[in-house]
Amino acid sequence: MATYRQSFTIHRWHRAFSRKIIIALFVPALALPAYFKNMRRLFTLLLALAGFYANGQSTLSGSVVDDKGKAIRGASVYIDNTLDGGTTDSTGAFHFTTTEKGAQTLVASAVGYSTAGTPLNITGDITGINLTIKNTARTLEEVTITAGAFEASNDKDKTVLKPLDIVTTAGAQADVVRALETLPGTQKQGAENGLFVRGGDASEAAFIVDGMVVQNAFFSGPPGVATRSRFGAFQFKGVSFSSGGYSARYGQALSSVLELSSLDLPERSTVNLGVNMAGVYASGSKLWKNSGGNVTAFYNNLQPFYGLVKTNFDYYDVPKGYGGSASYAIQTNKTGMLKAMVNLNHFSSGIAVPNPGVPDQNIRYNLQNDNYNGQFSYRQTLKNKWSLFAAGAYSYNDDKSSFDSRPGELKEQRAQGRLEAKYIITNRLNVLVGSDLQHFEIDNQFDTFLNRSINENIISGYAEAEWVPVYWLAFKPGIRYEHSALLNKDNIAPRLSLAVKAGQNGQVSVATGMFYQLPDYLYLYTVKPYNYDYDFQEAIHYIANYQWQKNDRTLRVEGYYKDYKSLVRELWTPAEYDPNNYRSLESAISTGNLKIDNSGYGYATGAELFWRDKKSIKNADYWISYSYIDTRRLYKNFLAEAMPDFISTHNLNVVGKYWIDKIQTQINMTYSYASGRPYYNPGNPEFLGDRAPEYHSLSFTINYLRSIGKWFTVIYAGVDNVTNNKNVFGYRYSTSGKAYPVVPALYRSFFVGINMSLTQFDKDEL
Amino acid sequence: MKKTILLFAAALLLLVNHVHAQNFKELLLKTYLAFDTTQDQQQKVQYSNKFDLLAKKFPNEWAAHYYNAFSKAVLSYNDKDEAKRDAWLDEAERERDETVALLKKENDETYVLAAMIANARLAVKPQARWQKFGKIFEEDLAKAKDINPDNPRIYYLQGMSKRFTPKMFGGGKKAALPYFEKAASLFAKETDNEDIINHISWGKATNQHFLKEAQGEAEEQ
Repeated sequence: MATYRQSFTIHRWHRAFSRKIIIALFVPALALPAYFKNMRRLFTLLLALAGFYANGQSTLSGSVVDDKGKAIRGASVYIDNTLDGGTTDSTGAFHFTTTEKGAQTLVASAVGYSTAGTPLNITGDITGINLTIKNTARTLEEVTITAGAFEASNDKDKTVLKPLDIVTTAGAQADVVRALETLPGTQKQGAENGLFVRGGDASEAAFIVDGMVVQNAFFSGPPGVATRSRFGAFQFKGVSFSSGGYSARYGQALSSVLELSSLDLPERSTVNLGVNMAGVYASGSKLWKNSGGNVTAFYNNLQPFYGLVKTNFDYYDVPKGYGGSASYAIQTNKTGMLKAMVNLNHFSSGIAVPNPGVPDQNIRYNLQNDNYNGQFSYRQTLKNKWSLFAAGAYSYNDDKSSFDSRPGELKEQRAQGRLEAKYIITNRLNVLVGSDLQHFEIDNQFDTFLNRSINENIISGYAEAEWVPVYWLAFKPGIRYEHSALLNKDNIAPRLSLAVKAGQNGQVSVATGMFYQLPDYLYLYTVKPYNYDYDFQEAIHYIANYQWQKNDRTLRVEGYYKDYKSLVRELWTPAEYDPNNYRSLESAISTGNLKIDNSGYGYATGAELFWRDKKSIKNADYWISYSYIDTRRLYKNFLAEAMPDFISTHNLNVVGKYWIDKIQTQINMTYSYASGRPYYNPGNPEFLGDRAPEYHSLSFTINYLRSIGKWFTVIYAGVDNVTNNKNVFGYRYSTSGKAYPVVPALYRSFFVGINMSLTQFDKDEL
Repeated sequence: MKKTILLFAAALLLLVNHVHAQNFKELLLKTYLAFDTTQDQQQKVQYSNKFDLLAKKFPNEWAAHYYNAFSKAVLSYNDKDEAKRDAWLDEAERERDETVALLKKENDETYVLAAMIANARLAVKPQARWQKFGKIFEEDLAKAKDINPDNPRIYYLQGMSKRFTPKMFGGGKKAALPYFEKAASLFAKETDNEDIINHISWGKATNQHFLKEAQGEAEEQ
């Protein structure tokens, strides 16, 4: 340190000395006699030069404010291209001395603000210089389209949800789809599989992983029993949930698309082990220089889970299964990424459930399920101008069941491919064109009297542009074309969404578009044998949304109107309604008692509210979502236009999370409410005119985090439906007129488990 | 006489130039020491602004950009406003890129600085950012290590990252200790040098501070 101080002293002395020399040199010159008159001009020049060193220090002072007149602290104020400058204090005031003279430019700059300059003629001290600079940090943030879109991603700061938020949502049991049921636009489900969005049934939502359609998003289960989705939250780096108005890249979904993107390279090499009341699992990922792989294996047995509490059905053979997956990703070059994965699993179960056709009878339902799928994707950016994407997948699902003693089998196979090119014209304008091909085959047998199949090819082409002409305005127009080989029909679906900034933290988005979907499998089976001529089912969406986001607080308000056309409708003679989803139509068609056409229609309209606040309470995070829906349809075998039995007019979710630092524990709470759903009462002249009781569920989970040696450990425990509220989703009537409630497999349930992961391997870090 | 005066004038101009050439190294050192010594954020901003002026006045001196970037990263750690913390880092990144452009390649110190900036990004919102920036941090330090494994700032930054990682994720004072020790042994080999352009030497005092803190913790247990 001493050497530095010395150097300063020397430096100061040196400067002072230089000045003295100059003055010493020129003082005699000033005293020169008059005969040097002709040289006077030269002297003046030299004097002026000398003056810079001899005396001319001027003090400049003033203040810096932003465009709203607020004082800016820490702004740099300086004379351009010199080292003379000062920094503003907390009142925005600055003052500094300079040896510069004459015409200069005074500049003010501050981090997060634009730079402003003012010309200045320095002849001496100047006071009261006022400079105004504009805040740039906030205003330049570009608008994003949010109508109908919810995103959960680690990559983007602005997303409303992160994948971690999904696993820490109480009552969701780490299931991506169940966590999404706490978001606006979704319907709470308990006795059926699927994601029900804005008046749409389970078939109207598509699931996409890395651009590929997921054929069986949920585990197979017996009729009337909801099962988990096949998605684990940590498999994905991002989840994008659209409750309407989705991109032209996708089709075959009248209401929504849930898009998941798998992880690229693993973050690091990890070993992960876990055990819980549903089974054991292990996984390992390895990161090499430019590639990474991941393998998983699990064995599930739900004996402990179902053994602890009273189930509403008799699990005479509790669900068991095993499976595994392998994935590999390689960075082929700086901007290329190739990913591949395979999944295989097997499950079996035996359960006594009410006969879907005859509710006063129980049937013994055995199920053996095999599910395999494999897919790859490749993305390559070329010279920051082109982005190419190619993907392919094959999926296989086989459900071998027995319905009491009658054997049945449902075999589904799907092969698909997608090719896409995006041309990035500027960072504010790009155009995407692509094509996808879906081939699927379904074979269904039941006992000796049902043997039916579907064989379909859908070819699609699409184009979409993203254009942000100015930071406060964004457009996304798109168009999609589809051809169905089975129906021998085409459709063209235009889509458009746009967003405009509204104030500092707000924005308004609107989206509209046409969406098409094939009739359900139930109807597609009849195409070939009966030469049925179907059309695509159609929905038109109109969505408007306002989103406000500031400092970890988000408010979303969204309204929509959906117009359903060309829905498939069964026309029975005589008119009758059978609430059995497993009914078959073949015999009635043969006898001429049933005609099927596309004369169905309907609408759905609603308003939704979402509020999330991570800021107000320290270490706490909560969100509230509320959805109101008014929807009616005449479709399938409905006798009249009515609200379907999977709809609750009001849905409310309150999700809270609180982290207690001292004990390294997070407590999560979810309360869900849904108003009563319609059910069919043959004694009521109004079709679907009865309402089931309201749904209430209060759930808690606790996560305790700690390191055990080098293992990062999470111990978790949860209770779903703490109050053991007897939720009933509707009633089914026997032919004798007795009502049987439709209930979930469990009312209250408990869950505990532990997860351990090791990432710090002993390497030569030091 | 005319000749004499012209000579005077020439001598004067030379002097002016000489003073300016001297100015850069000295001003850089002076600014750096002032920045390093003060604990007051407002004063740090003031000296960081000075680095800005130096970088503008001497655009071809990589060291001006390097220290400017360094100072912005330090300011980001100390700021309380999230948006501003990121804005400092935007500037730090730009000035680091400028440094690399002037040096025509990365070296261990530019990678260390990149790692520091990534760590500061993470520090703004640890829960949301650790995945992305934790990885960048480690990658940049690994690159620095490939070039010069004896750079004490590599271990100092690793130690700091461990120190401020929650215990349950394997961080904490005790976990950080071996890194601070390793850094201290390497810092000891760096001699005080006023040529801060050819001898980058920041980090020693802070490392010492956190080393003592970690040792204190280790003794308690």
